[in-house]
Amino acid sequence: MRAEEKVKGGKLVCIELLAEGSTVASVKITGDFFLHPEDAIDSLERSLMGVDLASGESEIAARLKKALGDSQLIGASPDDLARLFRKAVIG
Amino acid sequence: MRWRVIDYSENDAYLNMAIDEAISEAVAKGGAPTIRFYGWNPSAVSIGYFQSLEHEVDIGHCADIGVDIVRRRTGGGAVYHDHQGEITYSVIGKEERFPKDILASYRLICGWITDSLGLLGIKSEFRPINDIVVGEKKISGNAQTRRGGVLLQHGTILHSVDVDTMFSVLRVSDEKIRDKMIATVRERVTSVSQQRNVSRDELYGALLSGFTKGKDFGLGDLSDGERNRALELVENRYLTREWNAMR
Repeated sequence: MRAEEKVKGGKLVCIELLAEGSTVASVKITGDFFLHPEDAIDSLERSLMGVDLASGESEIAARLKKALGDSQLIGASPDDLARLFRKAVIG
Repeated sequence: MRWRVIDYSENDAYLNMAIDEAISEAVAKGGAPTIRFYGWNPSAVSIGYFQSLEHEVDIGHCADIGVDIVRRRTGGGAVYHDHQGEITYSVIGKEERFPKDILASYRLICGWITDSLGLLGIKSEFRPINDIVVGEKKISGNAQTRRGGVLLQHGTILHSVDVDTMFSVLRVSDEKIRDKMIATVRERVTSVSQQRNVSRDELYGALLSGFTKGKDFGLGDLSDGERNRALELVENRYLTREWNAMR
């Protein structure tokens, strides 16, 4: 499952998901955005592992915001990523 | 502390990225803040830290025409670095030397570029997040990382653009829109030589002036330690498939 979007006023973001049953088994977030520190991408991706594919946008966004903590995502927001997550699932 | 300015040199993509990182490590240990100018020989594609190698680059075509591919430590987009077509810089210093706010620090360093272009009679402006434009056309792209208390920003200033090669090495998700995208890029990208009849040497002279204006600086070179560390980083990171294909 994959969804890609050029965020308005921001950067291109792509989410790729692999599912096992009804949950997320692997996540890859790619694009030309910035994230400081860069290693925080691992926490963002990990925060979506095992998540139910039917989860709503707000739940996904909340997980991502928590994982992001003090890190700075530039050119996209957790809400953008959550929207893309849903888009990837819906197809 | 006095700035060290490292004169323009050309290296392959792997060594260029490794040198930026080796300098960053040296700065973290108390080394002088550094401004470096460089070129890419052979021409290369650099991709942003978070980009997918396979999605962004036509790997086979790059191999065919001798274009290297390297992943940067910085985010941002894929860039085609033409050997003759641009000048790249890096600015490396302790974070406290720059504004804490990331966009403000882009604005500061990009200001050195707009000052430089101004010396050539080219009116340009910083366009957040990380571009410099002339009118609505991009002339410079920039990318920043902060690790271990050190800020590294590198970027390119286009002297001339080879849009056809650029699009032959960068992948376009939908082949059907390739022609349209090329036309769009021609409309949205410009270069110093399109703006003024200025040689690459003249551009470099302006960049040297713009970047060093008002600074206490001295021309310097890499230390032996930095050079050796860069060579290690080439082997252990920038040349490896683990790094370049990690996403």
